[in-house]
This record gives sequence, C-alpha cells and structure tokens, in this order.
Amino acid sequence: MSSNSRFVPLVLETDTSLIMIKNYLHSTCKIFLFVFTLISVSFSAYSQEIPKEPAAISAGKQIFDSNCKACHRVHQKLVGPALAGVYDRAPSIDWIKSFVKNSSAVIASGDAYAVNLFNEYNKTTMTSFSSFKDQDIMNVLAYIQDETIKGPGEQPGQKQKVVDGPKEEGVPATYLNVLLVGMIVILILLVVILAFLVSSLKRFLDQKALTEEEKEVVHSPITAGTIASSRGFIFVVAFLVGALGFKAVINGLYSVGIQQGYAPKQPIAFSHKIHAGQYEIDCKYCHVGVMKGKSATIPSVNICMNCHNQIKSGTTTGEGEIAKIVRAYNENRPIEWVRIHNLPDLAYFNHAQHVNVAGVECQTCHGPVQEMDVVRQHSLLTMGWCIDCHRKTDVNTKGNAYYDKLVELHNAKSKGNMKVENIGGLECSKCHY
Amino acid sequence: MRLVKSLITGVSAAVLLSSCGAGGDDQGTEYAPNMYHSVAYEPYSQITDEDAGRWVTSIDYPTSVEGGEGHAEYYNSNRFNPHRMNMREPAPNTVKRNAQGWLPYRLPNDSTGLRLASRLKNPLDSTAEVVAAGKALYEMYCDHCHGPKGEGNGKVAEGVEVDGTKKGNYNGVPNYKSDALKKITEGHIFHVITYGKNLMWPHGSQISPEDRWKIAKYVKTLQK
Repeated sequence: MSSNSRFVPLVLETDTSLIMIKNYLHSTCKIFLFVFTLISVSFSAYSQEIPKEPAAISAGKQIFDSNCKACHRVHQKLVGPALAGVYDRAPSIDWIKSFVKNSSAVIASGDAYAVNLFNEYNKTTMTSFSSFKDQDIMNVLAYIQDETIKGPGEQPGQKQKVVDGPKEEGVPATYLNVLLVGMIVILILLVVILAFLVSSLKRFLDQKALTEEEKEVVHSPITAGTIASSRGFIFVVAFLVGALGFKAVINGLYSVGIQQGYAPKQPIAFSHKIHAGQYEIDCKYCHVGVMKGKSATIPSVNICMNCHNQIKSGTTTGEGEIAKIVRAYNENRPIEWVRIHNLPDLAYFNHAQHVNVAGVECQTCHGPVQEMDVVRQHSLLTMGWCIDCHRKTDVNTKGNAYYDKLVELHNAKSKGNMKVENIGGLECSKCHY
Repeated sequence: MRLVKSLITGVSAAVLLSSCGAGGDDQGTEYAPNMYHSVAYEPYSQITDEDAGRWVTSIDYPTSVEGGEGHAEYYNSNRFNPHRMNMREPAPNTVKRNAQGWLPYRLPNDSTGLRLASRLKNPLDSTAEVVAAGKALYEMYCDHCHGPKGEGNGKVAEGVEVDGTKKGNYNGVPNYKSDALKKITEGHIFHVITYGKNLMWPHGSQISPEDRWKIAKYVKTLQK
C-alpha cells in the first residue's frame, strides 16, 4: 500500500510534472503566440493607423473633393455608399486600399464583401484609382474619420422656410410718399398764407368808410356752401374730373387687345427668380427650341427631372410644388402650363431668327424674367412695338455670309448702318401671310 | 345738372374701359378676337373648353363629342391625341435625320455601350470654331452644374444660400480634372451626355448629336 501509496504520488508527481511541463510549454507557446500576435497586431495597427494630423486631413479632403465626391459622401448614400466609419466596417484597411486601386479585380477575386457591395449598388463598378498612393488613401481615410467624428451636422435642403411676401420695391415707394407729404405741407402753408392775406385785407377795408352793402360783401362768411356754389370751384372740379375721365377713356381704349402685364397663375408655382436668377441656369437649358425654331418651347417634364430627380425640396416652396413634377413624370402626363405670350394668329414670329441670327437677348423682349417669381408679359407685343425695334436695330451681320451682298448694296447707297427696315423688316408679308 | 350727368357718364365709361387691360389672371379684352384665335391646331395654345367663343361662332363646326353640338369658335384641342394635345408624339422608332445626315446613335445605354462609345471618333474637326461653339453650348447646358471650368462647382451643384445655409444642391457632380476622368474620350463624353451616368440624367432630348460632339470637344480642352 505504501509502495502503492509511494508509487501513486510518484506517478502522480510524474504525471503532474509532465502535465506541468506540457502546460508550461503550452502556456509559453500561448503567451509567445499572444505576444507575437499582440506585437504583430500593434505593429500592423501602427502601420495602418489613420492619421489624425490636420495636414493629412486637409490633403485627404482635397483628394476626396476632386476624385470621390462625384459618387460618395461621408454621411449620405449617393452612387456609392456613405463612407462614415468605412475603416471599421470594411474587412481591413488593406482591403480598402486594394478596392480603391482596382475594385473590379477585388470583385473578380470573389471576395464576399466586395461582391455583396457590388450587387447592393446595382452592379455599378467603382472607378479604379490606380494612380493613388497608399498615403493618399490614408489621407482620404483621415478626412473621412474626421468627418465621421464631427457627425452629419445639418443636411442641406432639410430646413424649410415660409415664403416671404414679395418685397416692396423700396426706393420709389418711399420717394413717392416723401413727395406727397411735402406737397401736402406746401398746400397747408398756402392756405395759411391766404388766410392771413384775407384777414389783413379785411382790416385794411374796415379802416376805410364803407357803405352797408359794401360791408356785407367784405364780412360775408366763408362756409362750405359758399365755396361749393362759387363759379371758380365748379369750373375747377368739372375740369379735373373731365380731364381725368378723358385720360382714363383713352388709356382704356389703348389697353384693348393688349396683354401687357398678364401674369396668370401656373399649375406649379415655378419661380424664374430662383432658377434663372439664383441658380443662373441659362434660359436655353430649358427652352431648348429657342435657337432652332419658331417656338422657344416649354420644357417637357423630363427636363425638370434632370435636376428634380434629386432636388426634392424647394428653397422657398417646400416639397409640395416639386412633388407635382415628380407625379407628372411618374404618370407620364404633361404639365398644362398656361401660355402667357399669346401672339394673335394673324402675325408670325420666329424665335430662332431673333435669338440665333440676330443675337437678341431674351430679356430685350421678355424683361427681367430672372427677377420674376411669377412671369408676366413685359412688352406690348403690338405691331408698333415690333416696327419700332425693326427701325432702330442694326442687323447683326457679323460672321454671317448671308448678309455680305446686302451690306455691300446698302453701303453703296447710304452711309448709315444697315437697319432691319432696310432689308425688308417692315414688309407686311414678312409677318402677315 | 346737365354737366353733372355728362360727368357721371364719362367717369363710368372710363371705369368700364379701364377693366379692359390685362393683369394677373385676366388676359384683358381682345379686339377682333376672330383674328386672334387659330382655327388650325396650334401648339402651346390648347383650349379644351368646347364653348369658348360661342358668342362669335358663325359657322357650324364639326362635332367633337358623339351626339353633341358642334364646338364653338375658339375650341382648339385634338381629341384623338393623348391628353387632347395638339401636338402628336412621333411614332415609335421614328428616325430623326439632321443636316449632316448622321444616323441615330445606336449604342445601348449600358456598360457595353459606354465601352464601345469610348472608342468612337468625334466626326468634327478640332477647329477653333467648333471649340468656340462647344464653349457656347457648354455655357448653355452644362455650366450651371459642372461649373465654368468643369470643376463640378456650378451653382446647382453648390446650392444657393438661404438664411446663411447652402441648400437645394445637386450632389455628385464630378471634377473633370480628377484622375478618374482624365482619360475619358470624346466618345465617352458623347455617350454620357446622351444617356447620363451615375447621378446625371440623360440630356439627349435637349442637345442634338452635333451639339453633343461640339461639347465633347470643348470638355476635353477644359481638362488640359
């Protein structure tokens, strides 16, 4: 039993020591492995550390703005994913580097993360930026990290503003008011001066010997009745009313058949002031026919959607008005805009001849459209108005061989510049046929 | 008394006539309206009200509604067209020819089309006139997003400032000078204008093929 008992411990001892040795070896191995991984991890972490220096961030921003911005934002999904926290999300920093340098190769290699991404974003291949150095990509990541920490902030186009009423055109209104007040003051002063004159005249007459009749005339009281029944007053009133009435009749007659100032309400509260004024979009971007044909054309819905597929919230009108365009687009239904410039059927006008050949600015006839929230007819559009311009305007002959002979003939006969009227700009059948 | 009476008549006539002028939603009074309104179908002046101009109608117009009365003088709509429009959409597969006789652009709107397009050669020569025309067209159609120098900083891309914050901007406008775009060909630019790419929508309906090639020429000069 003792041997046994001795043996057992011995065995036990050997066993334990063996185990201990094994354990020791194992744990050293483990520790070694652990330390090794730690070192290697910390080493790789050191090499893959996203820089935090402002220089790197600003360099990264520059690269990002000129190369990545077309498809990526930090906090917003665009063509590609939002990049906030991409360094934590992606398999590794090295993976990001190889993906940026040649995304299609990474996808072709069958990398699961890359393939998923490719499928998620409608199989759009990311452009390969093979010219990027590792440092460039690290700088971009530095910028992304910086932006991620900063947070999304305020998204553009989220905040909405109630429309202010149309601003009064300040200067002339106040100017008129000042003028009016001044005139009233002058009139009051006149009345006061006249009253003084009357009273001094009365005093002067009282000092003289007067008959009873004369006294009655001098001291006759001035009342509303006496003023109203006086001949001068009736004449002045009749003259004023007559003159004003005459002017109103003439004005009224002249406004028949003229739509100047017509500013109908449109089915969508489209503002030229925002589009042509603030955004400075060229008139011809939407009115595409103006260089090519008779009509300047009203843009079709797809032209609106070129921007409004993305811009869904207006700067002044909110979302309701733009939603009308999107609805019309989705239903394939035209928007029934109200025509403003209605030239009578008896007259012919061609935009291309005026804009393309003559080089007339849109604003010459249509007025400052870029300042109008609601477009109104600016010009008279009468025949006299057309002819007036044809008499005054020089023909734009520069670089147009069509006019060479005409200019030659014109210069042989007269000294002045060739006006539109000189080449048949006043002929009836040019516009009426 | 006679004076007062004549004054009243004059003033009321003036008031009546002053309502003839146009303004706001009111088109004003027309003089000789029969000569103003087109009898033939007129694009952009669709009048759907069948009774418009009944008071001047002197001839029997054909009926536009089954069993109904003839429409009145000013009615100007075509009931055979969708939405009673006066203009018809071209028949499907209509081929538009231009002065140069170029045939329509046949490459499809996909990655294969884009790859093939980048091998296309610009049919126009790089003359100063073509580039100048391209510049004018660029300023009409591209400038407000892509910016005057093609840096992707046009007004629409940047947004406008309202209450101190920029908003209403169009995202995803690239910089022409970026490495990714430096190598693109004129054919690629032509294809992208026609069909759009990524966030840009197609502009083929607005810009004729010839003008697209001119713009492509100018865009290449911006990248230098």
